Amino acid sequence: MAARSWEGSAGASGGKMAAPMLAAARAGARAFSTAGALCRRTAPLGPMPNADIDVSNLEALEKYESFTCYFKAAEKESKKTPWWKTYKKYIESEQDEDAKIDIGLPHYRPSRFQELKMRKEIMKQNRQNVEMERASRLRTLQIPLDEVKAEWEKYSGPFHKQRVAEYYGIYRDLFNGATFAPRVTLRVEYSQDDEHVVPVYHGNMVTPTEAYRPPEVMYEADESTLWTLLLTNLDGHLRDTASEYIHWLVTNIPGNDVGAGKEICHYFPPFPAKGTGYHRFTFLLFKQDHLIDFSEDVRPTPCHSLKMRTFKTFDFYRKHEKDMTPAGLAFFQCQWDDSVTHVFHQLLDMKEPVFDFVRPPVYHPPQKKFPHLQPLSNRSLLISTELELIKKLITTKKNTVFEELFPCASVVLGRSTGVNQEETPIKAQMENVFSCMS
Amino acid sequence: FCDRLSSVKTLLRTRRVADISQARPLAVVDPVFLTCFSLSLLSTFPQGLRFTSAKPSFEVASTEVDTRENEVVAPDFTNRNPRNLEQLALARKERGWETSWPSREFWRRLRFERTQQYVEAFVEDPRGNVIVSASTREWAIKRHLYSPRGVVACKNIGLVLAQRCLEAGINFVEFKAVVPWERRSDSFQGFEKAMTDGGVVLREPRRIYQ
Repeated sequence: MAARSWEGSAGASGGKMAAPMLAAARAGARAFSTAGALCRRTAPLGPMPNADIDVSNLEALEKYESFTCYFKAAEKESKKTPWWKTYKKYIESEQDEDAKIDIGLPHYRPSRFQELKMRKEIMKQNRQNVEMERASRLRTLQIPLDEVKAEWEKYSGPFHKQRVAEYYGIYRDLFNGATFAPRVTLRVEYSQDDEHVVPVYHGNMVTPTEAYRPPEVMYEADESTLWTLLLTNLDGHLRDTASEYIHWLVTNIPGNDVGAGKEICHYFPPFPAKGTGYHRFTFLLFKQDHLIDFSEDVRPTPCHSLKMRTFKTFDFYRKHEKDMTPAGLAFFQCQWDDSVTHVFHQLLDMKEPVFDFVRPPVYHPPQKKFPHLQPLSNRSLLISTELELIKKLITTKKNTVFEELFPCASVVLGRSTGVNQEETPIKAQMENVFSCMS
Repeated sequence: FCDRLSSVKTLLRTRRVADISQARPLAVVDPVFLTCFSLSLLSTFPQGLRFTSAKPSFEVASTEVDTRENEVVAPDFTNRNPRNLEQLALARKERGWETSWPSREFWRRLRFERTQQYVEAFVEDPRGNVIVSASTREWAIKRHLYSPRGVVACKNIGLVLAQRCLEAGINFVEFKAVVPWERRSDSFQGFEKAMTDGGVVLREPRRIYQ
C-alpha cells in the first residue's frame, strides 16, 4: 500500500510529494494519517527491486525456459550489492580489491598467438587419436594427474595458490594485506622414513611429529641467483598475538641448494600449544637481487629462547624491501600432538601451557520495561487509540495517579477495553493530552 | 593403455599414503566428529590410514641456552587463523531462511556446473568467494581429454578437484546445491564418485555447541 502510493508520487514530482499529504492531514480527510507516518514518506535512495518490470503485461516478459537458467540468473542477482543495508554488508568489511598492493615478481607471458597455435594443434591430434576416442566413449579415460599438476603450476597455479592463501588470511598477517602470486613453485617435503614423505602444499595438515626434522626444500632456480627461505608460525605466539615465531631462516642460498645457504636461525620443530587449534606455518621464498648482509637478524646457534624467536615478517621484509622480492609460498596447518610436550619440556625447558576454548557469552539484548519516554511517533498508530482512552480517564477523573502512571496505564488497560472513535482529528487529541500532562 | 592406467593408479596410491596426514587430525578433533566421520574416513582410505607410531628422538637442551623468560605466557591466547574455528567445528554457520534453497548453512560448499561446452566445479565459501576450482577450460586438463564435456570430463574434473581440495586442506565440503533431477545423471554420479574416491568427504560436520 505504502510503496504504491509513493511510487506514484515519486514518479510525478520528486520533491513536492509530501505537500498533498500534509494538505490531506490538515483537512482531516484521512483518519489515520499522523506526523509519524509523514516523516517516513521520502523518496527511496535508489531503484526499488523489480521496479523495472512491467507488471501490467506479464506475457511479454522474457521467460526463463529452464530451471537451470532461472537458477543461474537468481544466483547472479543475489551476488549484486544493492543500495540498501543488508546482512551481507553488515558482516563483510568493505575492502577494495584494486587497492591491494602487489609485491610479487613480474610475469612475462609468452606470445599468446604461438600458444594458441600450439594448443590448437594438440587438440587436433587429440580429436584424431582413435585410442583416446575409444577410451572416452567407454568412459575409461583417466587423465594423468601428475602431468596435469605440472602444467597447472605453469599457468593458473600461482593464481589458485594466491586465492587459497587469501582465504587462509596469509597475506593479511604476513604483509598487512599486500599480496603476491607465488611464481616460483616451492616443493617442501618432510621425509618420514624410506617410503613415506609428507609434502607441504598450501594449507594441508601436518602433525608436529611429522615436521620434527627439517624438511627438504626444492625449487627451480639458476645457479647465479640468490634466495632466502623463511619458516614462520603466524598464530603461535604465546605473549603477543600480533607477533610470530620464526622457525627457520636460511639466507643467501645460491641457486636451489638450501644446504649451501647461510643458516641464520636454525630449524626448530613446531610447537602449537594444546587447545589452541590449527596454526599456520608458512614457508616463504624470497628472491634476492644481490648478496644481503643479514647480521642484524642472526640468532645464536642453539636458539631455544622464545623471546629470541619472536619475529615479524612485515618488519623483516620492510628492512630488506629494496633487495628482495617474495617469490614462493607454501604453508601447512599444524595442531597439538604428543611431540609438542617433549619440545616444551626438553628444548624450551618450560612448563607446557594448555589452553581451553572460551565460548563467547550468549548475547541477550538488554531487557527493557515498557519503552519509557519514547517518542510517540514510533508507535503512533498503536498509541492513538490508547491516547484517547487515557485522555478520557484523565479528563473525567482528574486523578493525579493516572498522570504518574501514564506509560503503565496503557499497558494495564490495553486495547481490549472498548475503543471510542471520536470525530475530532487525532492531532487535536494529542495536543489535548500533552496539555493535560503539562 | 591398461598398463598406463594401472601405473596411474599406483601413483595415486603412493601419493595418498603421503597425503593421509591431511585427514588424520580432523578425525581426532572431537568425539562428536569421530562418531560422525570415522566410518566414512575408513572407507575412503582403506589402505592408507596409519596413525602416528614413530616418535622422534629428542636431544636434551644444552646448558648455555637462555630459556629463562620462556615461562612468561599471556593468560589469553588468540589464534589468528581465520579457518581455525571452522576446522574445529566451533565456528557459527549462517542459517539463512528456512525456506530458501539452496540452504546457506555451510562453511564450504561444492558446486558443480555443466555448460554446453565445458564442465566446471569449485568450492566456495558462504560469501561466494571461490577457494578451489577445476574446469575443462583450463589447458592443463583440456589437453588430456578427447572432449571437454561429457561423462569422462566430469569424472576427471572430480579427480583433479579432489586432489586440489586435499592440497588446500579442505577435507569436508557441503554438496547440497544440486538440482535434484540432475543428481541422477551419469556425469553427476561420476563426478561425485571421483570426489569421494579422491578423499574428500561430501558433507560437513555438525557444529559443536557445547
